[in-house]
Amino acid sequence: MAQMPHDGIYMNKKLACGALIYGNASWTNYWENQLFRDNPNIGRLSTESVTAMLAYGITKKLNVIAVVPYVRTNASQGNLMGQKGLQDASLWFKAKGYSIHGLTLHGVVGLSVPISNYVPDFMPMSIGIGSKSLITRGMISYDLRKYVYVNSSIAYQMRSNVRADRDGYLSGSRFYNTSDVAVPDAFDAALRLGYLKKDNQLEVFAEHFSCVGGDHIRRNDMPFMTNDMTMTSVGVYGKYQPKQIGINARAAYVVAGQNVGQTLSLSVGVLYQFKL
Amino acid sequence: MVDQPYVPSNLDVAAGSWKTFILASSADVVVAAPKLVTDAAYLKEIDSLKTVVIPALTSAQKTAIQYWGAGAVLRWNEIGRELAARYNQPPAANAAGVYPVPNAADPLADPRFPFANPPYTARALAYLSVAQYDALVSAWKYKYQYNRKAPYVVDASIKPLLPVTTIPTYPSEDAVVAQASYVILLAMFPGEGPFLTEKLAEAKNVRLWAGMNVGSDVSAGASLGAAVATKVMARAKTDGMSAANNQTIVPDLIAHSKSLGFVTPWASQEIPARPPMLPNYGTVKTFNFDRATMESIRPAKPYLEGSAEFKKDLAELETINKNQTRNQAAIANYWADGPGSYTPPGHWHRYACSAGVEAKYSEVRMARMLAYVGTALMDAGIACWETKYFYYSPRPQQFGLKTSVGLPNFPSYTSGHSTFSFAAATVLSSFFPEKTSLFNGYAQEASDSRVYGLIHFRVDCSMGGKHGKVIGDFAVKRAQLD
Repeated sequence: MAQMPHDGIYMNKKLACGALIYGNASWTNYWENQLFRDNPNIGRLSTESVTAMLAYGITKKLNVIAVVPYVRTNASQGNLMGQKGLQDASLWFKAKGYSIHGLTLHGVVGLSVPISNYVPDFMPMSIGIGSKSLITRGMISYDLRKYVYVNSSIAYQMRSNVRADRDGYLSGSRFYNTSDVAVPDAFDAALRLGYLKKDNQLEVFAEHFSCVGGDHIRRNDMPFMTNDMTMTSVGVYGKYQPKQIGINARAAYVVAGQNVGQTLSLSVGVLYQFKL
Repeated sequence: MVDQPYVPSNLDVAAGSWKTFILASSADVVVAAPKLVTDAAYLKEIDSLKTVVIPALTSAQKTAIQYWGAGAVLRWNEIGRELAARYNQPPAANAAGVYPVPNAADPLADPRFPFANPPYTARALAYLSVAQYDALVSAWKYKYQYNRKAPYVVDASIKPLLPVTTIPTYPSEDAVVAQASYVILLAMFPGEGPFLTEKLAEAKNVRLWAGMNVGSDVSAGASLGAAVATKVMARAKTDGMSAANNQTIVPDLIAHSKSLGFVTPWASQEIPARPPMLPNYGTVKTFNFDRATMESIRPAKPYLEGSAEFKKDLAELETINKNQTRNQAAIANYWADGPGSYTPPGHWHRYACSAGVEAKYSEVRMARMLAYVGTALMDAGIACWETKYFYYSPRPQQFGLKTSVGLPNFPSYTSGHSTFSFAAATVLSSFFPEKTSLFNGYAQEASDSRVYGLIHFRVDCSMGGKHGKVIGDFAVKRAQLD
């Protein structure tokens, strides 16, 4: 039973599940600050990824999850060079806490670190933002009735400064004579409603991501790591795992945002469960 | 590193006789004699410092004293660079696919005026430095002519909050620089009135807060700074900049390019096609050489498409396009100085300021060095643009290459980065000979960065660099004569 850092599902003790997921996220329109626009010098910006995941049950109430993505970007128009490479590896610990009448509290802590020296300050072509993050999530899941659950969570993402290639940058109306770029912290919140029977799952969700500060994309400028990004997405996730081998698929779409692309994300994965 | 107030290594007592750029001499603007330090009006100013101003300082005011105390020329140069960065954004196309031209009469409308691209910024910073320099030479003349003592010398109970020197305080050099800079920057960035007014007031006030000047030192300095800057702006208003974006000459430029054998003249690679940046900027008046000289030093025709040399340069780019190394990307990004930055001329002004601070230059010596660096950069921009539009040669992107830094919207040959960088490095090396290899290394890297970023052929950079060095040498020669 593959599981994610943000769900209420746990591997049993000494049980592991590996996943290999292909993802394609792309946008044509984006919010330049609040202005919703396209950009014929970018066309459609696509981010393809292949992500390796491994979840393992230390106990049935404490799981560890490791994630390593390889990412490649491409613009369908214009002359900006696509970027590619290993992005940010993350390691997560998820623990089940207090439980009563189908209501369960969970705590999740994750650390995400860039594992290649990719260029962070060539957005939107960059494969990542270059920041190290410490993510702390509180989650409540509730078994609504047989097989049906709701899950809500909120996380705070502490994000480190980034060393840019350039030695000065504009943020807001101030110019900073340094290569040390302050990336704003962020939080996210999610609400999920799903059906889970044995190892098969179908879920709809809404997610919200927002920086706690930062500047806006200036008129006709490129995005930058200091931007105050906000997005609200809705999506659907499904998993089918009759035996050891399974598959999952996910679709999400950004319905509102600021300083981000209106991204449609699609992914499919192969899962493999085994005793360790 | 945060710049700190310092005592200059040389007070430059004789700077009042240095040769000015625009003023006929340091006596061109008259500064009236100050009141004697025994005069009742002067004593009232001293009393106001002691009893009203200094005892009531807030911590914000003390912070401002330290900030401005690092150097008036330094800070106003930084402000100029910051404004350039804020305004360095190409206009967006409108719904009809047309790029509106920024309007100086309505500077905050979209697109904002100015589009502070490299030529614009080079010119703005050149006039800023020239105005500061001419105003300071004049200030130095009157300082030593009138020899008015500092308030803390006249009244020992005033404890100054900044390092002190024996430089006479009338007129205030900080006020001279502040007012001259205000006039130039407001003319160059007309939408920034409120921002600049606030900076001007603070720059002048800190001299009183710190016990460094009395009010009449500051007001005399402000009058002198304004008068000099007005003369400098008279030159700027008639230097040809108003015709720099004349797009009607473009068909003739393309025809000329074809007549020289260019099969594929430059064409905008943007969607929709954007008119070329400042096609007539090459006719703007230079500082350190005349028009005939500029034409005589114009780089020779580059390799034509199809030649073996052209194929070699293209092959180098194709190799990078396939396998750009991380180090190549880093160098390309470090020097890109594209939209939202203070442009390559701003980058070189920053290095110049750092070198001047490190050498503990006086205000007037700092302004002099920046005036030569600044005019060399402006001349480099003009001569490079003249070359670009003379040949109207294609960019590598017209041969299928991508870029990792963004593609400038004007012809390829010669590289602006290379020309700017070698011009500035040449001037800086003459001021700081011990740093020659450092500055030349920077210039070479800035030049190479345009090949690594895939937006210039090698020949654009090598010839641009040579051109820049010749342009820098003219500024050096002028500096040797003053």
